[in-house]
Amino acid sequence: MRTRHPFTLLTLAAALPTLAWLLPAPAGALGTAAVAFGLATAAGVRRVLVPAVVTAAPFWLFLFVLHDLPTTLAIGLRITTMVAGFVWLAAVLAPDRLVEAMVARGWSVTVAYVFAATLSAVPLFRARARRIVEAQRCRGLSPRGSVAKRLRALRALALPLLLSALHEVDERALALETRGLRSGARRTPLAPPPDPALERAARWALLLVCIAALVGRLV
Amino acid sequence: MNPLTLEGVEFHYPATEAPALRDVSLAVAAGEIVALVGKVGAGASTLLLVAADLAPRITGGRLTGTVRRRARSGIVLPTPWTQLSGMAFTVWDEVAFGPANLGWPGREIARHVERALERLEIAALAERDPVTLSGGEVQRVILAGILAMDPDVVLLDEPTAELDPAGARALWRLVRVLAGEGKAIVVATSDLDAVPAVADRVAWLEQGAVRAMGAPDLLAEEATCEAGLGTTVAGVWRAAGLAAPYPLTVADAIQRWR
Repeated sequence: MRTRHPFTLLTLAAALPTLAWLLPAPAGALGTAAVAFGLATAAGVRRVLVPAVVTAAPFWLFLFVLHDLPTTLAIGLRITTMVAGFVWLAAVLAPDRLVEAMVARGWSVTVAYVFAATLSAVPLFRARARRIVEAQRCRGLSPRGSVAKRLRALRALALPLLLSALHEVDERALALETRGLRSGARRTPLAPPPDPALERAARWALLLVCIAALVGRLV
Repeated sequence: MNPLTLEGVEFHYPATEAPALRDVSLAVAAGEIVALVGKVGAGASTLLLVAADLAPRITGGRLTGTVRRRARSGIVLPTPWTQLSGMAFTVWDEVAFGPANLGWPGREIARHVERALERLEIAALAERDPVTLSGGEVQRVILAGILAMDPDVVLLDEPTAELDPAGARALWRLVRVLAGEGKAIVVATSDLDAVPAVADRVAWLEQGAVRAMGAPDLLAEEATCEAGLGTTVAGVWRAAGLAAPYPLTVADAIQRWR
């Protein structure tokens, strides 16, 4: 899936939750959730499917507490589709390919960068958190033990994480500016990903299915 | 016409009372290398940001005085990790990031990237993921990325901070080659022993102002040595209680000793 055109991946990730909310529940949402889980499984059980299930689980818990079974199923499956779709997208969509695809279509490079930086922020943030935890451990802080101890450890992690992220934003802004990433710049695409006719047709088909589902829902 | 001229420049960072730069005047000619030396906080990095048109445009703050830039500049900041674009999965793409943003044709980008990789001796890293590189390698990749944009004014902030001694020597040789090609170079460095062989002029910054400016011999004067800004040879000569003027380099010391 990583070799597919980024717009195809984005369209699929957007179409799944759209259809989950537009198609009649629970059958429609069950179908979209099944597709989302299928994609997540294909992308990697441990890397994508398990994080998607773990992220969706708390929503189910709250829904069971607050609603009856039919409502829980309807909303839960829809939320599960959204979560699984996003986790799958973050795993398969390479930010650099997305930038290249957007630039090749004439988008502003700054808009493309903001879009792609959002997707690449999670792994960067996780790596930074790991480094801070290691640094704090070297200074004797243990993230294990009682709840109070863990809360203290969390504070010692969160503050440097936030401050270092803010500091890096400043430095990165300077660095990107000096490397020509300016508003309105027309970037040369270095290796625009191929966009086969079949994929373009598939994107239009997905869009038409979503519109049909919307019309069906309204009439 | 000098590619870079600063006249009576004063700069305040946002929400600060004390100026980071005070009455700084500096003109850099094409093909000239000016070294900025001073203690931490003396204003060298800020001067480079002003010269690169990043301060106050990006940093915020208040600038008075005149800054004339008659050519495109490129700056290498002291923290190479934060200068990676985050959008490139190979060193080649990372180096090409800047030229691509300038909208150059693909063939011209490739030519400049290949040349920059060769000059920094990192052609072998072209297919590596930048996040897997060592600090010294990242520093060279970032410098290659700036050189690939073919700036006429090159601004370097502690460019050898992450490099091993051999890498630092190679970089200083490259800086001389770049000056030989007509590029104006301003470098803030604490590698004082390298300055005599590299720089044409030295500007000594103190509390945001230029305290002295002149030939690299400045680094062997009593005042600079007293401030801890002399070369190692000058410092040792002075510490040994030998008579001034102090020698600047080992070669000078040998000549004096004989």
